[in-house]
Amino acid sequence: MKQSVMIKGNTYGITVVLDPELPFSQLKEDVAAKFRESSGFFKNARMALAFEGKKLSSAEQMEIVSAITDNSSIQVLCVVDPDKEKEELFRGKTEQALSTDYNPGLFYKGTLRGGQVVESESNIVILGDVNPGGKVIARGNIIVLGALKGNAYAGISGNENAFVAALEMDAMQIRIGDAIARCDDNRDEDERSIPKIAFVEDGNIYVETICKEVLNDIKLI
Amino acid sequence: MSEVIVVTSGKGGVGKTTTSANVGTGLAMLNKKVVLIDTDIGLRNLDVVMGLENRIVYNLVDVVEGNCRMKQALIKDKRYDNLFLLPSAQTRDKTAVSPEQMKKLTDELRDEYDYIILDCPAGIEQGFKNAISGADRALIVTTPEVSAIRDADRIIGLLEANGIHKIDLIINRIRMDLVRRGDMMSNEDVIEILAVSLIGAVPDDENIVIASNQGEPLVGNSSMAGQAYMNIVRRVLGEEVPYLDLDSGTGFFSRLLKRMGLN
Repeated sequence: MKQSVMIKGNTYGITVVLDPELPFSQLKEDVAAKFRESSGFFKNARMALAFEGKKLSSAEQMEIVSAITDNSSIQVLCVVDPDKEKEELFRGKTEQALSTDYNPGLFYKGTLRGGQVVESESNIVILGDVNPGGKVIARGNIIVLGALKGNAYAGISGNENAFVAALEMDAMQIRIGDAIARCDDNRDEDERSIPKIAFVEDGNIYVETICKEVLNDIKLI
Repeated sequence: MSEVIVVTSGKGGVGKTTTSANVGTGLAMLNKKVVLIDTDIGLRNLDVVMGLENRIVYNLVDVVEGNCRMKQALIKDKRYDNLFLLPSAQTRDKTAVSPEQMKKLTDELRDEYDYIILDCPAGIEQGFKNAISGADRALIVTTPEVSAIRDADRIIGLLEANGIHKIDLIINRIRMDLVRRGDMMSNEDVIEILAVSLIGAVPDDENIVIASNQGEPLVGNSSMAGQAYMNIVRRVLGEEVPYLDLDSGTGFFSRLLKRMGLN
């Protein structure tokens, strides 16, 4: 007997093959049953999902996705368009979803000294000072719980929504996305020891004292 | 239990050799058995500051290459019988010795000496790697200038990366008159940047120049620098010593004037 629902897997995701002859309500129940059975096999897998066989509207896709997540502990990261369904595509989508999701950030404790570099694919929090010549490079945001006297490069893959915040903002150079700002040649001594946040607006980096209004305008990626 | 101490700074000319000579001599004055090693191969000068240049027969490279025994290369100090110097070679370069060989050499000396002081060359290349390879702790020498502090910061990072975590700071050539005017960084400013413990501050003192040229370390004498170095030596030994009041205002200057008048 031909099964109404089949699950095909690859390294990065699964394809659910649906029998086009059957009505949607029937398929939904079969999907739920199928995943209930195999929930032990999939455990807490995080994967991308694609549909094959029957053409589904996006509302129907959502219903199937919730049928899967309700009946198993799979986390569906995204739904891939079946027409372009390729392992490559799965991989791209999963990694993209995982890069911001799986790895919420990196903590570094201690003084980051000249010549030392801390890098992360996501956000970085430094518990200490970043001395002149030290570099913090993040795909996401950077927060320094201390004095930032070195270089901070946030949103390194071109994300202009990233920000750099420090308890003492005395950075040598800040880069956010493609924007670069360097410190003023004649800095005001008193200005340095104030907690500040640097962000991009209209392609320029602004460094402002941290306050509610400024934080309200910050967009998390 | 013996201790291997590397004296380093990154930047040149801040007083590594002077500090090595004075700390080494000071430890010997307090009856410790000390050996000073000049690891600056190719640019030796610890022997000059110690006034022992004329006694050199063999050197560090000779020992490492097996041309002589350790005992033959060690030079006994003019003043203290328990102080020895292992001079560096002048005709070779830093690549003549490897970090493994240096470690072996210092480990060999541990049996017989209380303190092994390594005078590190400037820079962070092979010479630096050689000098730190066998060290238990480090004395960082800096002057209150941004360039010296940048280099000291880098050096501290490299030491920590190499597993040396006992790091103390010596601030050399401080001039209280300039600090008071706000034209020179104070000890507090320097410590805030480098985030390591201070083991002593040495004032800029003309007696240092005189002593170095005469080849007799001034540690322990009545000059400000001599007192400051002796205090550092005591702190290296683990004693609690109050800090010299370098900022004694007119007192400092009147003392200075008095000394100049006497001279």
